[in-house]
Amino acid sequence: MTMIEVKDLSKVYGSGETKVIALDSVNLTIEQGQFVAVMGPSGCGKSTLLHLIGGLDRPTTGTVTVEGKDISKMSDTTLTELRRRKMGFIFQFYNLIPVLDAVENTALPLILDGVKPETARIKAKEWLTRNKLEDRGSHRPDELSGGQQQRVAISRAMVADPVIVLADEPTGNLDSRSGDEIASVLRKIVSDWGRTVLMVTHDPRIAAYADRIIFLKDGRIVDDALLSGDNGDNAKRLKEKVEAL
Amino acid sequence: MRIQILLAWRYLLGRKQRMALTTLAVVFGVTLLFGMNAMIPAMMEAFRHNMVTAAGKVDISISGDSNNPFDEASLDALKDIGGISHSTGLLQKNVLLPESLGGTTDPIAGASAVTVTGLDIPTAQSVRNFQIKEGRFLEAADGSETVISQLLADKMSLTVGDTLSIPSSDGIEKLTVVGILSLSASAGLDEIFVPLATSQRILNLPDKINTIDILIRSDADRLTVENEILSKLGPNFKSGPVEVGNELASALIMGESMMWLFGIMALAMASFIIFNTFRTVIAERRRDLGMLRAIGASKRTVMGLILTESLIQGVVGTALGLMFGYLMCLGLLASFGPMLQSFMRVSVGGPVITTANLVGSILLGIGFTVGSGYFPARSAMKITPLEALRPSLGAAEFRKNKRRALWGLAMVAASVFGLVIGELNVAALSTLVFLAGLIMIAPVMVKPVADTFGKLISLVYAREGRLAQGNLARQPGRAAITASSMMIGLAICIAMIGMITSILNGFIGYLDKSLGTDYLLMPSSLVLGGGNLGANQGLIDRIRNTDGVEAATSLRLAASQTKGAALQMIGIDPEVYPQISGLAFSNGDPATAYPALANGRSIIVNGMFATSAAIKTGDVLTLKTPQGDQVYNVVGVAFDYLNAKIATGYISQANLATDFNASSDVLLLVNRKTNSNNSAVLSALKAIAKDFPAFSLIDSTEFKNEQINMFKQAMSTLYVLVVMLALPGLIAMANTMSINIIERTREIGMLRAVGTTQTQVKRMVFAESLLLSALGTTMGILVGLFLSYLLLKALIFIGFTVDFFFPATGILMSVAVGLTFGIIAAMVPARTAARTVIVEALRYE
Amino acid sequence: MSVRHALLGLLAQQPRYGYELCAGFTALAGGRENWDVKPAQIYTTLSRMTDSGLVTLANGKNDNSLEKPLYSITLVGMEELMNWFRDSVLEEPHQDAFYLKLMLSLELDEVDAVRLIQIQRTALFQELHRITELRQSLDPQQQLAQILLMDKAVMHLEADVRWLDMIESRLEEVQHQPPPKPYLRPRGRPPSQ
Ligand SMILES: Nc1ncnc2c1ncn2[C@@H]1O[C@H](COP(=O)(O)OP(=O)(O)OP(=O)(O)O)[C@@H](O)[C@H]1O
Ligand SMILES: [Mg+2]
Repeated sequence: MTMIEVKDLSKVYGSGETKVIALDSVNLTIEQGQFVAVMGPSGCGKSTLLHLIGGLDRPTTGTVTVEGKDISKMSDTTLTELRRRKMGFIFQFYNLIPVLDAVENTALPLILDGVKPETARIKAKEWLTRNKLEDRGSHRPDELSGGQQQRVAISRAMVADPVIVLADEPTGNLDSRSGDEIASVLRKIVSDWGRTVLMVTHDPRIAAYADRIIFLKDGRIVDDALLSGDNGDNAKRLKEKVEAL
Repeated sequence: MRIQILLAWRYLLGRKQRMALTTLAVVFGVTLLFGMNAMIPAMMEAFRHNMVTAAGKVDISISGDSNNPFDEASLDALKDIGGISHSTGLLQKNVLLPESLGGTTDPIAGASAVTVTGLDIPTAQSVRNFQIKEGRFLEAADGSETVISQLLADKMSLTVGDTLSIPSSDGIEKLTVVGILSLSASAGLDEIFVPLATSQRILNLPDKINTIDILIRSDADRLTVENEILSKLGPNFKSGPVEVGNELASALIMGESMMWLFGIMALAMASFIIFNTFRTVIAERRRDLGMLRAIGASKRTVMGLILTESLIQGVVGTALGLMFGYLMCLGLLASFGPMLQSFMRVSVGGPVITTANLVGSILLGIGFTVGSGYFPARSAMKITPLEALRPSLGAAEFRKNKRRALWGLAMVAASVFGLVIGELNVAALSTLVFLAGLIMIAPVMVKPVADTFGKLISLVYAREGRLAQGNLARQPGRAAITASSMMIGLAICIAMIGMITSILNGFIGYLDKSLGTDYLLMPSSLVLGGGNLGANQGLIDRIRNTDGVEAATSLRLAASQTKGAALQMIGIDPEVYPQISGLAFSNGDPATAYPALANGRSIIVNGMFATSAAIKTGDVLTLKTPQGDQVYNVVGVAFDYLNAKIATGYISQANLATDFNASSDVLLLVNRKTNSNNSAVLSALKAIAKDFPAFSLIDSTEFKNEQINMFKQAMSTLYVLVVMLALPGLIAMANTMSINIIERTREIGMLRAVGTTQTQVKRMVFAESLLLSALGTTMGILVGLFLSYLLLKALIFIGFTVDFFFPATGILMSVAVGLTFGIIAAMVPARTAARTVIVEALRYE
Repeated sequence: MSVRHALLGLLAQQPRYGYELCAGFTALAGGRENWDVKPAQIYTTLSRMTDSGLVTLANGKNDNSLEKPLYSITLVGMEELMNWFRDSVLEEPHQDAFYLKLMLSLELDEVDAVRLIQIQRTALFQELHRITELRQSLDPQQQLAQILLMDKAVMHLEADVRWLDMIESRLEEVQHQPPPKPYLRPRGRPPSQ
């Protein structure tokens, strides 16, 4: 099933002299249950793509369709609701509300959605437990390590049962070991829970957890590599590419 | 909603210090607002209690329209009205009991005044029900007999046969108590009843009454009868009892509105502080808020979060403010009480909380807080989710500031022009415009002022000064708002101090002029209308005949109404009065005004009335009198010291007698022959005064000193107010400084990491705070000068001619206050900054 | 070379049969997926080592065809093993086949260098993904040794990927520089790569 469909998506910042084309008619289809990594040099438009898909920003031209619905023309209210119910976000920095503890931070999307606080707390704790943070529930973010904070963020992203999880350099701030932890949690989200994950990263190691890597350069997709599937399959695909030489 | 409350509460708790400081500002405003306004009604209550203690249940009460006495003959008009079953005429007046006659201001131990009611004995009993508990009721043959209420008898421990002495127009009236009325009798608390003729003698109002009490037939319609009576009597009567103390009430109401103004000013400052805090809060939380938006918080949720936060602070601040306000009121009443007791012969009870005050304080307190949170909240609403993900762009602020500053400059120019025009309302408006303009200019002033004063500071702390200067200029908006709130505080300071010095100087001049006599015979209460009993011609004659007295003149009193407002009428002798004392003129020429009073109906009004009724020399005034409306020509605007605060008109004593039926002397002014012996004259006068216990003899010089002292005392409470108004400025500064430090924890950590010492960090913070206060002080002085000039203008307008005293003291004080505030405000933040642990600072997000 | 020394190492622990050595080596090298060595190659190596006196048959001559040969290490073999241990292991990363491809592609119009990089990168990522999955399936409590070996592979692949990124970003520069031309020495021998 197609989860995300991006058509002729462009994003232009500024105008005239200072015009920056962050995305240049990008076309992309992402299936449900796929773990997609987006890679590319700095400034190539990775974050922009993620933001547009997440409905955090509006495209200059083109459309983004999530679960068959075009989100580029939705009102702010509908979009906000969509983000709340269908999407989970994980960012590199400033992920958590500093004055709330881990459980409260995790429960935030549910509470925002009007779920009863007790129910929200229970679900939040479940997710924290899955991410091995059961004993850190009452800690505030400044009492957690970077990796733990990021796992709280993942719990929060997952707590409202979103269909899509968007992560912008979720391991950018972590050492390789914590980075691996985060990546394997994301992997599980896809493998065990069937969610669709779109992740921006600079780290090949982390990207290798994904099923598919999209390479961006200067706002265009320059390469799209499938990593999963058995060796024969992959070899065949490679061969196709070679033939295209 | 829940989430907003949770987050708001957590954020507030997360920054306790800041919350405390911000809330303190609200507390402060509400304290002033509520406390001050709880005081005024308490005072009103006290006066009212003193003046209207008479009460009787009758069907209809008729009195003079302007509360003046009228002829007994008016009763005849009622004879052939069918609906009336019984009617009786009364003469009723509050009479203060001087201490020499057993008066006391303690309401439990005795009475400070009695209400003397003269009864027409044959008809009175058919209208009112007098139940005698002891002794007998008055009889037709009675002269100096009285019947008193049980309560008064108990308080003054009087029984049948005892003598009760009260002041009278010819000195003392000794009354024999012949009966005591039972508690249930329809008598006021401290009411005493005498035969009508006796009361007319005591009050020096022969053949006059001031109230008609009427019982109607059981089958008659009250309203019809009432209308019939009023139409028979003519236009100068009204239904209802005599109202006393109207003039004073309006003075107090003015005081009340002053207090509201003060409170609102303090709250306005508080809202500046809150606005400032919230702007900072939102700048700090841009990422948090953007993140909330990203994970699905709606715009309304985000706005609600900020509003909830301000609401919590508003509620907490207001609640505390109400509490402190009550305490402040208690304290002030306790300290003012004795003064009022000795000068006005009233005792003030506890704070009186009116619904209007309570509701008003709560609404204003919470309203201002939430209101000033509103704009920051709106800007919070506009934060896009992307701001959680991208570093915010800070540089764009500058150009907007410049355009705004141009507007501000235009406004300042316009307001200066407005001041020059000389119209009071325009000038008042100009002040507001000036303030607003200055606030708009403030952001661009930050850099030049910081640069100028920065150079000074750099002389002492070379390196830290430069850093502080840069830090301040980095956030011109915030610095400007902080400085603005300090500016308002200091401006008020300067203006008030300027006004106080000017008034004090002017006041002493006035006192010399309007009380330029050697001796005064003062009534018990300084407020002439407040239950004082006048003397008949006998007193002044005796004084004039005393050896060594050169001249004596008197003030007489009546009440009138014009244009719907109460007006106190003072009768003077147009020939003698100017020689002995004199009014201070702000409009018109004394040389022509006094003779004009003597010829025909002319009036001099005081500035207070002239301003409020928009009257000037040459206008005509229609005054209500017991004889009907009379037209007076205004020949001048002037005032005497005692009546400056009450709307007053001065007319000749002859006119006062014919038009207002008043011929008692309420205040006497006496001049001694230059070659006579002071102590001999004084003792002779004392002997006379002894026979008139309603008066106290005062040596003018002594009195003046007393008055000046009292005035200074009152002014010193104003100083306290001034300081209180400046305090929120300090709070604002301290607040901004701590916010700056909190925000820059990381930076300071970095500075420490690369080798800045703790002392240097401290100095940097102090320098910054000093720069900020320099900015506030500079602006404050500018506005203060403007404001003080305006206040004096306003004073001149209501009749005081005061020379403008350049408030040099005020400016010096402001500079001192500014410096002190700068240092105090930086103390805690500097320590926090110096103690910044490097590692933690670098982790701080 | 290392197969030889690994077998010597296994024999240094105790004398072993041939099939034991096959299984032992596979386990040591991190499983068949990781390093697939055919038994034939092991037996060939063993017989070569027997010939050169590094290994002997512990159960006498190989006349008795009924009995499986039990190999054990000789003193000479031990000496050789210790020498191996004393040497440091240096691979030769500067001898890279992809590099040759790339350099040649720069000169050939028929081959697009960028595509070449992409194909190589995809291959590397596929390998990286495979190893990552493999590594994920291992139990860190029991199979730490293998995990560490996987890590080595991951890191190498990662380095390769980064190297590709670097080449890609500087490809134009390289194209504008003169290609590595054979330097003709007087004697006319081409320099070794
Ligand atoms: N708000 C903006 N205004 C102007 N230009 C922008 C804005 N946001 C992004 N850009 C530009 O768009 C381009 C793509 O930005 P984007 O953040 O998507 O890059 P990225 O691939 O995420 O980079 P990085 O790996 O460094 O995060 C960049 O050139 C950037 O400068
Ligand atoms: Mg990015």
